[in-house]
Amino acid sequence: MTDREPLATNEADLVEMAVAGVISQPSVRQGAYTHYPDGRGVMLPGMFGVTYNARAGDKAFGWAGDHVEPGVSIAHPDEKSDFALHYLVAIGNEAMVTSGLAKGARGRVTGEHARILVDFADDVYERLNIGDQVQIFARGRGLVMTDFPHIEMKKISPALFARMGITRKGNGQLHVPVAMELPIEIMGSGAELNAEYVDQDLMSGDRALMARLGVDRMRLGDLIAIRHADHKFGRSYREGAVSIALCIHGDSVMTGHGPGILTLMTDPAGGIDFSIDPKANIASYFNIGDKA
Amino acid sequence: MTLATNEADLVAVSVGGAIAHPGFPGLPAEPYRLASDGTPFLLPTYGSIVYNVSVGDRAFGWAADCIHPGVSIKRADDNGNRGLNIFACVGNTATVMTGAAQGSKGAVTGKSGRFSEQVIVHFPREVRKKMAIGDQIVIKSLGTGFEITGHAGISFKGMSPALFKALPQKVENGVLKIGVVATVPAHLVGAGAGLTSEGGSLHMQSTDKAELRKAGLDQLRLGDVVAIADTDSRYNHGYLPGAMSIAVIGQSDGPRAGYGPGMTVVMTAPDGQLGSFSAPGTNLVTLLALEP
Repeated sequence: MTDREPLATNEADLVEMAVAGVISQPSVRQGAYTHYPDGRGVMLPGMFGVTYNARAGDKAFGWAGDHVEPGVSIAHPDEKSDFALHYLVAIGNEAMVTSGLAKGARGRVTGEHARILVDFADDVYERLNIGDQVQIFARGRGLVMTDFPHIEMKKISPALFARMGITRKGNGQLHVPVAMELPIEIMGSGAELNAEYVDQDLMSGDRALMARLGVDRMRLGDLIAIRHADHKFGRSYREGAVSIALCIHGDSVMTGHGPGILTLMTDPAGGIDFSIDPKANIASYFNIGDKA
Repeated sequence: MTLATNEADLVAVSVGGAIAHPGFPGLPAEPYRLASDGTPFLLPTYGSIVYNVSVGDRAFGWAADCIHPGVSIKRADDNGNRGLNIFACVGNTATVMTGAAQGSKGAVTGKSGRFSEQVIVHFPREVRKKMAIGDQIVIKSLGTGFEITGHAGISFKGMSPALFKALPQKVENGVLKIGVVATVPAHLVGAGAGLTSEGGSLHMQSTDKAELRKAGLDQLRLGDVVAIADTDSRYNHGYLPGAMSIAVIGQSDGPRAGYGPGMTVVMTAPDGQLGSFSAPGTNLVTLLALEP
């Protein structure tokens, strides 16, 4: 075996199924400020709707926004259907607008937050209406690497898997290029959720540390590695585990929050290794925007 | 040493709740939760009257998931329940208003957070035997707004003046230091990070038992007073080097990822204004003179 051979998967056995959501409307509770760590309250945009000027590949830090969701944020109004959307969608799946002025336009799933995040070509955004339906060709749930069955894959589409530059190392470990490594002690909000639902925020409250580690140079769509993070079932601290994740939304002013990190792969036993490659971003993998 | 406080200015307000029934998800009758290794488990969990687990007992090793010692109360409506959860302070007196235990006195010993939102109240074992699910309990809440003169950098959360006065404490070089049983390092902070610090709980990571032993946390008892390193709990809980929070162990360990023993945070400071010293045995049983 050499690392030049493609990694075998069960891709041929995966089922492709339609799931759908509609373009969401930003909602604000009366008087509901977002608070800085010192208590200062602000009102900032970022979540829901069509975000016209933030896309995968753009900066994750420095927006005058909070939890900025790049591209189009869709959700299903029925709770059970919405969970199906969350659990069946995979990053890199193709999307299609099925109602409204942009009907027929094709896009790409770039993230999962409380809504599913979909990127479209530049000329599509102006024609999108709140409530337009977007359908996803969902495929990826159940994906397994034949020779690495112990490495759990979550929400990786075959299209993303093929573009991530994953190789087999001589020592039997899997190798994944990532844009950045994060220290485990800054992993925050999301620890209370199961690891199949949305993301975990990194905690960006120590601004000096963010600058020192270069974390503040993170881009939306960056591939991320975290040591001692076991995300197989929930999010545990486990010595030696490695998780590979994806930056899906922007920074936050709130204590315990920051850019959102969506789990893509995890191995509690340390079978994953990684190296830093600043180009490891889904914008490059899928030719998104002008940062590709 | 007695520190000057604004106790005389605090307002005592009633907050009420009823003893909460345990709950499980509905049809298709899938009763299992997942342990951090993915094993499905079915065990008693938060809520209700717990007859044989009390403050002072061990926090680890119960065949249970985040069990609340004593009695757990909540209100049916969300806003009222939030009032109960926020204003109830650890050490406040609770009185049974209805049922066979009417007139019995107890004390608030902790709170639970997102997904359960209950207040944990200690009553003597003999009283618990007489209680019924649904019994109404009123807490004379006192503590919200508490400050100590000359220590403006320290914030109090759900701390009764009675508990504060009983805590081992000393001031050294202007830093208020609290006597604690152990210190939780930042990388072992789990569920609750990024969530509100007004009420609720912050849980330890307990998947990696060796790491818990290394930090001296594996022998903790319910009601123990602990410090949480590098954690800012002023507005949400989050990582911040130099910050510290002081908490009491409110509920037991559990098998889920991120859900080790729950901590009810009562004090916090962002930048070295708060410290700790080792004081083995510092526990609510003695601090609040709880009747067994």
